[in-house]
Formats: sequence, C-alpha cells, structure tokens
Amino acid sequence: MPKYLSLPLILLLSGCLSLACCQYLIYFYAPAEATMGLIQKIFYIHLPLAWWSLFSFFLVFLGSVLYLLKRAPAADRLCAAAAETGVLLSGLALLTGMLWARKSWGVWWTWDPRLTTTLIMWFIYAGYLVLRGLNLPRQRKGLVCAVVGVVAFLDVPLVFVSARIWRSIHPAVLGAQDGGLEPEMKFTVTACAVAFGLFWAGLVWLRKCQLDLRARMCASAGAAPQNGHCRKTTPHPR
Amino acid sequence: MLELDRVAHSYGQTLVFRDISCKFGAGSVTLLLGGNGAGKSTLLRVMAGLTRPSFGTVRFAEKSGKIGHLAHSTFVYPALTALENLTFWREAYCLAATRDEMFKILERVGLAARACDRAGTFSRGMAQRLNLARILLLDPDVLLLDEPDTGLDAASRALLRRELLEARGRGACVVLASHDIASDAPLADRVLLLENGRLAHDGPPSPFFPPLAGAEQACCA
Amino acid sequence: MLRMTLAVLRKDMTLTLLRGSGLAQVLLLGLLLVFVFSLSQGVGESLSARNAAAVFWLSSAFCQVLIFNQLYALEEINNSRLGLLLCPAPIQAVWLGKAVAGIVLLLLAQCIFLPATIVFLGQNLVGPLKPALAILFLTDTGMCALGSLLGALAQGQTTRESLLSIVLFPLLAPLLLAGTGIGAQVFGSVDPDGPGAWLGLAAAFDAIFLGAGLLLFAFLYTGDE
Repeated sequence: MPKYLSLPLILLLSGCLSLACCQYLIYFYAPAEATMGLIQKIFYIHLPLAWWSLFSFFLVFLGSVLYLLKRAPAADRLCAAAAETGVLLSGLALLTGMLWARKSWGVWWTWDPRLTTTLIMWFIYAGYLVLRGLNLPRQRKGLVCAVVGVVAFLDVPLVFVSARIWRSIHPAVLGAQDGGLEPEMKFTVTACAVAFGLFWAGLVWLRKCQLDLRARMCASAGAAPQNGHCRKTTPHPR
Repeated sequence: MLELDRVAHSYGQTLVFRDISCKFGAGSVTLLLGGNGAGKSTLLRVMAGLTRPSFGTVRFAEKSGKIGHLAHSTFVYPALTALENLTFWREAYCLAATRDEMFKILERVGLAARACDRAGTFSRGMAQRLNLARILLLDPDVLLLDEPDTGLDAASRALLRRELLEARGRGACVVLASHDIASDAPLADRVLLLENGRLAHDGPPSPFFPPLAGAEQACCA
Repeated sequence: MLRMTLAVLRKDMTLTLLRGSGLAQVLLLGLLLVFVFSLSQGVGESLSARNAAAVFWLSSAFCQVLIFNQLYALEEINNSRLGLLLCPAPIQAVWLGKAVAGIVLLLLAQCIFLPATIVFLGQNLVGPLKPALAILFLTDTGMCALGSLLGALAQGQTTRESLLSIVLFPLLAPLLLAGTGIGAQVFGSVDPDGPGAWLGLAAAFDAIFLGAGLLLFAFLYTGDE
C-alpha cells in the first residue's frame, strides 16, 4: 500500500471501528426515549451526519479562501473532496431526518429550521458540484468554484435565520429542546459525533489523495485532469 | 517603463514560455516575432495584465501609465454608433476629450462620415479602425499591438504605422507582435524572437533587416 | 470608479432598452409564470396571499437570471470585457454598474408583474405600503448584488442560464422568503410578528452580499478565455 494512503485509511478504519462500538452505546447504554421509543435511536446517527456535513461546507469555505489567496491547486482539490463528502452526508442527514419525522410526527417532512437549512445547503452544494463537473480550463474552474464556495458559506447563517423567522420559532424553544437530554444520551451522542468525525476525516482525506493522484497522473501524461478521466488538452487560443 | 522579470506561463500542463526577462523603455518600438503558437499573444496579454503569469512578475515604472491593447478583438459594441462607442470608452477610461476632439480622431481614422452609424453595419476593417480610434483617444503610455493588421486594407495599415511612430515620438513604449517582418523590422528599435518557449533573440533588428531568407525561416519554423 | 460605473450603467441601459430586444423576453417569461400559477385556481377561487407573493418573487427571480445573462453577454460580443479590464478604474465598477442596471430593469419588470399578480391571481393591495416598498427595494438590491457577481460566471459563454439559476436560486432562498413574508402581509395575510424581522434579514443579506461582491468580483471577472 502506498505510504501517503496509510494515514487516511487508518483514520477511516478507526472511524468504522469506533462507530461499531458506538452501536453498543446506542442500543444498550443509552436509555430508550419515553415517548418516541426505538426510533429515537436514529438521532445518534442523524446528528453527527448533520454536524459533519456542515463542517465539510466550512472546510470548502476555508479551502476556497485559501485558493483565492494562494492559487494552490491542492486547496481546490480539498474543496472538491470536502464538497462531495458534505453533499453525501447532508443527503443522508435529510433521509434519516425524514425517517425520524415520519415515525415521531407522522409526516415525512416538516419545515423545521434545521432541516430546512440542511435542505437548502444540500441544493446549494449540489449546484456547486454541478459547477465542478463543467468542462472549464482548470485555473478558471478553480476560481469560479472558490468564489461560489465562499458565497455559499456566507449564505448559511442567513438561511438558518430566515427559516426560523419563517416558522415563527424563537430561540428559547430550541434551547429547551436541546437541554432535555439525559446525561447517558448526551455521552452517547458525543461519542457518536467523535467516531463519525474520524470516519469523516478519513473519507475527505482519502478522496483528496485520490484527486491528488489523478492530477499527478494526468500531469505526467501531459494532459489536464477533466471530469473523472484524463483528457488530452485541446490547444488553447493564444 | 515596463519590466518583465523571469516571467513564465503555462496553460494547464502546457508550457507556453518561461524565463523571460527584459525591460522596455519609453519612446521605443519593439517588434515581437515568433511562429504561430510561440506565445506572442500570451506574452502581450501578460504584459497588459490581462493574464496572470504562472511565474514571475510584470512591473511598471513609476506610476502605472495608461495601457492600450490592440488585438484581433475589436471591443466594439455593434448596437452603438461609432461616436457612442468612443464616448463610452472615454467615460470608462476617465478621459477629458470633447465631442469635437472625438470627431477629429474619427476623421483621422477615416470614419467621420459614418460617426453616427451603428458599428454593427461596419466591415471588419472599419471596426478595427474604430478600435484604433479608441487607442488614439486613450493616448497610451504603453501600447501593445497583437497582429493588428488582420482584416485591414493597405491604407489602414499605413495609418496604423504612422500612428505607431507618432506614439513613439510622444514617448510611448510600443510592443508590436507581427509576422510581417519586411515592413515592420525597419520601424523597430529592437526585436524579440520567441522560440521554443524562450527568448531566442533580443537585440537590434539588423539580423532581420534587410530580411534574409534565414530569418524568415527562423520565425516561421 | 464612479465615472466608470455610470458609463457602464448608461451603456447597458441604452443597449438593453433602446437598441436591444429590450425586456420583451424577460417580461414574457414572468407573465407566463404568473399565468401558469393562475391555472391552479379553481372556479371562483383565488390564490392565498402568501402563494401570490411567492409567485411574484419567483417571476422576479427568473427575470433577474435572464437580465444578468443578457447584461454580461453584451461584453462578450467583441471581447469588450478585455477593454473594461484594461481601464484604470477598479473592475468592481463593472459589477456595480451592472448591479444598478439590473435593479432598474428588475423594477421596470416588476411594474408589470405586480398588476399581473393582482389581476390574474385575484389579490388586493391592503397591507402597509412603507414596509412593502422597503422590502421591494431591499430584496431587489440583494438579488442584483448577488446576480451581478454570479452573472460573471457566464464569461466566455461557457455556462448557460440553467446553470446560473441552479447556483443562484438556493442562495437567494433567504431573500425570497423575506420577500414572500412581507408580500403576503401586503396582500392581506395577517402576521402577528409584523415585517420587522424580515426587513432586518433582507438588510443583513444586502450588506453581506454587497461586501462579497466588492471583494470577490475581481477574482471572477478576468482576462482568461
């Protein structure tokens, strides 16, 4: 196994192992919720998914700023890896949220501010990925994506606040809801979040390594990396 | 006036040129030679600040003067009249020319009679004359010409050469990329030859003038 | 910078309103949207105030995408973009000039959409006028600040309208919610919270994206092909 792949793979594997251990905490250590019962267990997966997807988007923002300042192609590839992971995780967070809502409130979808924010974020970053898939010269694509990456993250707080005003939900309600967790539940959800963090870091890192490798491969083949395969560059107008 | 320091540029993995260092003084005409795809246009774009070089720096002496760039694109808005086009560029460049002065410039490029016609009705050569009028209006300190002859008739070419020499007389720094060695080498104070991504020649135009078969070959290789 | 901004604004208004196809395409699309939504009304029914407000802002959003595509396409015809980039004034002048041109064109279009919404969707203007005008202006400003920034994506004609709307619409979500929230009140729906929160949100959006536009436009609008 190549050396540079070992660290992300170790992270990924330790993430998987600790997630497996978390299953014990979820089903045997944490008490069953009084009203929702078994379905509440989905919360321990849903929350880390949502958190780490948001963190991925934050990473896209950081990478984008870095790219705009330094024009380092590595920062661009970091953004690509983080955005892909973020869209995947937020998609899964939406799915688990829907399952949970169906069981506990009897509807598939509710316009809860956090769920709404996740949905809109999913749309924004899915659009960002479409932009990444475009056949543009590498430098130009890097710039365009970096600008959209920054703008998209600036939008996050606005989306959240607007979803809250829209549903007329005031901060006090949310505070009470979060405070209502029992200590065992709190410990379990923290453990899940940390375990998922390991898994997430491994995933992003591995994807970044993959993209780095492809860029190197294409560089040595004398072609620019394009949409998943090496494409011979057409001569540019000069 | 303008200085390139170890400038290199590549499109993706394709290197266009590297390690180009030279200075351009005021009141000079430099002829930039090179075959198709040698990177003449890219070098001019880098000098104009339109393209960020992959490596190296472009420096302007003292206060960065006005830069004129005349290339294949005419920068003309087809739906505006010739005069409106000039008026727009006057405003965009923050110049103080009056309407009469703009008319005079249009006269110089031979478009006075069509001043109030839409530029969309112009031929390619006339549009390029209008572009030249924009450059005259700007009166640039650095004038970068990228094969400006495309689509111009003999009269327009002569006009262009005249204006070019006049700009040098006013102390402008002129860089001209061209294939027409026979007619342009006599105008130039200095010749740069781009070959295989490097400066193959930087010096007086004498080796290229009178045009020798060898020189022609070297440029068109 | 101001002089160049005004020059770009004046040129764009001339080209769009006097010399180009004008707003015909934009207006037609908006009116079609209003009409299509009016199909959802049964006999003797009319859309709720909130729905009508949403349709109004949706038409405006689609219009704005078309407007900015049109405005930035003007610079690509003979590569005038390069000429603008060579101007001594900061390039943000182009962003600002086009944003203001966009606001004016959008307001003109909305002068048609508002009566269309009232007539086709059976609404009445009953709510307070001041917050209505304020939100109209704030929302248009925010939409155009962001639209003018992302409109530069179309540089080199490599991207199409559909792409711009995919990227732009979700980003505009907070602003569209604010516009719809107050629009509903103007069309007569009662909201105990009043327009204050929405106005604050729209103002915050404007501030953030006016800043972002000023900072980021230079990265996006370049001499690259």
